[in-house]
Amino acid sequence: MPLPFQHILLTFFLSGVIGFSEVVDQQAWEKKVPKNRDDLAAIQARLQELIPMAQKALVSIEANDGAGSGVIVSPDGLILSAAHVIGQTGVDMEVRLLDGRRAKAVTLGGSEISDAGMLQIKEAGPWPYVELPKHHASKVGDWCFGLGHPGGFDLERGMVVRIGRIIEKQDETMQTDSRLLGGDSGGPLFNFEGKVIAIHSRISKESDQNFHVPIESFQENWDFFQNQDLLTYENIERGGFLGIACEETEHGLVIQSVIPGTAAEKAGFQENDIILKVDDVVIKNREKLTIFISGKDPDDEIKIEYQRQMSVATLKLKLGSRLE
Amino acid sequence: MHLNSLYTATLFFLIWCTPSFCEDKNQTNSLAPAFRLNGTKTQDAFGTGKLKALHSTVRLLRNNKLIALGTLISSEGYIVTKASSCVGAREATMQNGKSYSLKIRKRFEEIDLALYQLISEKEKFDFVEWDDGNLTSPISWVFSPYLGLQEIRIGIRSGNLRTVGREGGVMGVLLGRDGKKNGGVEINEVVPQAAADRAGLLAQDLILSVDGKRVLKKDQVIEIVSSKDPGDMVILEILRKNKKKQLKVTLGHNSVTFELFNRNLQMSGPVSKRKDNFPLILQHDLPLPKEGMGGPLFNLEGKCIGINIARVDRVTTFALPVSTIKPYLKDWLSSPD
Repeated sequence: MPLPFQHILLTFFLSGVIGFSEVVDQQAWEKKVPKNRDDLAAIQARLQELIPMAQKALVSIEANDGAGSGVIVSPDGLILSAAHVIGQTGVDMEVRLLDGRRAKAVTLGGSEISDAGMLQIKEAGPWPYVELPKHHASKVGDWCFGLGHPGGFDLERGMVVRIGRIIEKQDETMQTDSRLLGGDSGGPLFNFEGKVIAIHSRISKESDQNFHVPIESFQENWDFFQNQDLLTYENIERGGFLGIACEETEHGLVIQSVIPGTAAEKAGFQENDIILKVDDVVIKNREKLTIFISGKDPDDEIKIEYQRQMSVATLKLKLGSRLE
Repeated sequence: MHLNSLYTATLFFLIWCTPSFCEDKNQTNSLAPAFRLNGTKTQDAFGTGKLKALHSTVRLLRNNKLIALGTLISSEGYIVTKASSCVGAREATMQNGKSYSLKIRKRFEEIDLALYQLISEKEKFDFVEWDDGNLTSPISWVFSPYLGLQEIRIGIRSGNLRTVGREGGVMGVLLGRDGKKNGGVEINEVVPQAAADRAGLLAQDLILSVDGKRVLKKDQVIEIVSSKDPGDMVILEILRKNKKKQLKVTLGHNSVTFELFNRNLQMSGPVSKRKDNFPLILQHDLPLPKEGMGGPLFNLEGKCIGINIARVDRVTTFALPVSTIKPYLKDWLSSPD
């Protein structure tokens, strides 16, 4: 029978080893907080290393009523930006790269819910571009840096970089303490792997709580956006209506509440049901569900596969209208 | 026996770790303020540089109200600050709460700096250590003391090192048609609260002359007015309802007058009055209000690389680099021990 204090000794020994190996493997920007000047220097060096590639894909967008920013994500010139920068689909705009090159572009689609927007350069590439990360590549606490043209393109000033951390992330929005100003809208937010993780959207009254469109919003709705569809609040008003409020979780899209008198309540949906598929399309993203439902007309019939506790079932229902 | 111990240890480890894991999980929705870019934990990573910075900065007061920060440049208590922010400063307080009276020693209007001295019999003051080094290295950490001298603000330098040109004076009017037919230049609109408004100019007034010079074209008015500085006065002769009138207009700043209409500035809060006409500036994004100007800007090593000279908007602050200010201050600087 070992003595009790031996356990404790071994415990400390083991946790010591585990703690030590974590410190060795961790980059400064992966720590909970930079501990000292060496950590800060490592973050600075990493930033300096990533900027040259990142900045090549940055564009300023000259729209009719102001300027915005965007980022090229494919060699043929697909640009991610903000819905409020593109305004509507099929509009001609001019984009300007940091090296001074200008090109004609046309607006594609997006969504007013998340403020995601896309454009396509009309002139032949190849254009400098940055890569997108895999799904769910960012989380609260990650270090990030933003590029953009605050106040518009300014050759004398050059490009401006802002650094920060993700302070909140939920559903269609992400908040960082990286600073933003008008003109930054549509510009890219990068992680410390040099991948685009979000697009600048709105500023907050507090200068260190600004809003961005998470890249997941683009990735979930890529085809819809690229095919020149723009989800507006007006579309949502007019389209089909299910009548649930839901939240994105690691298990899927969980129903938070069912609005009385709506199609969802009539069909028998309950709180905590998890939406799996709509008309055989897998849906894990709240915005994607809204795009799907409001793309239908009131009275259209849809099929929803859902999970309640441990069982999976399918329901057919007739959509209602928001205007009722 | 070994296996038994390992098992117990693992169990203990799990139980011990679970609460902290749960805490983390609760926080996944929001990053705790201490860990943010300007959080206290991040500030602490700057180590001794942070403390040295707080000790070499002073708060300048007028009627017990903070109007600017100042940078200690010598052990004799010489400080530099933003000249146009600190008019009327009589008192300075330090990080430790001590208070001193101030004497103005010199003003360097061309770079908007003023030199003061803290009045003290025998005290030796801490002062900033300069870094005259390589400022071309872009995108690097910077920090400055915050208003109460208990915290710092952190950000990065970016944008080009550059000259910011002079901004002429403005009256705050939108000029309309010109031409010989009118015999002057018509005012279409007067910007509310701007210089012309305060002087009593109205829309539809016809400007006949500026400082005694006849004007028939818009450009002539603009040329005379913009050759003057904000704060200068011009005398206008105008025609209003067939009556001639003379009005004196004290000119305003272009940026402050017209950018009131600029959405970006509306979102930015108060900015510095003088943010133009600097021979060289470096740009950074520290969240400092206009009362935070005049204080030192430090690099990661805790060395002073400039003096904060203008809050431009909510993402932009200008600082005068050391190479620009040192020649002016050479007679008052202490050499480091």
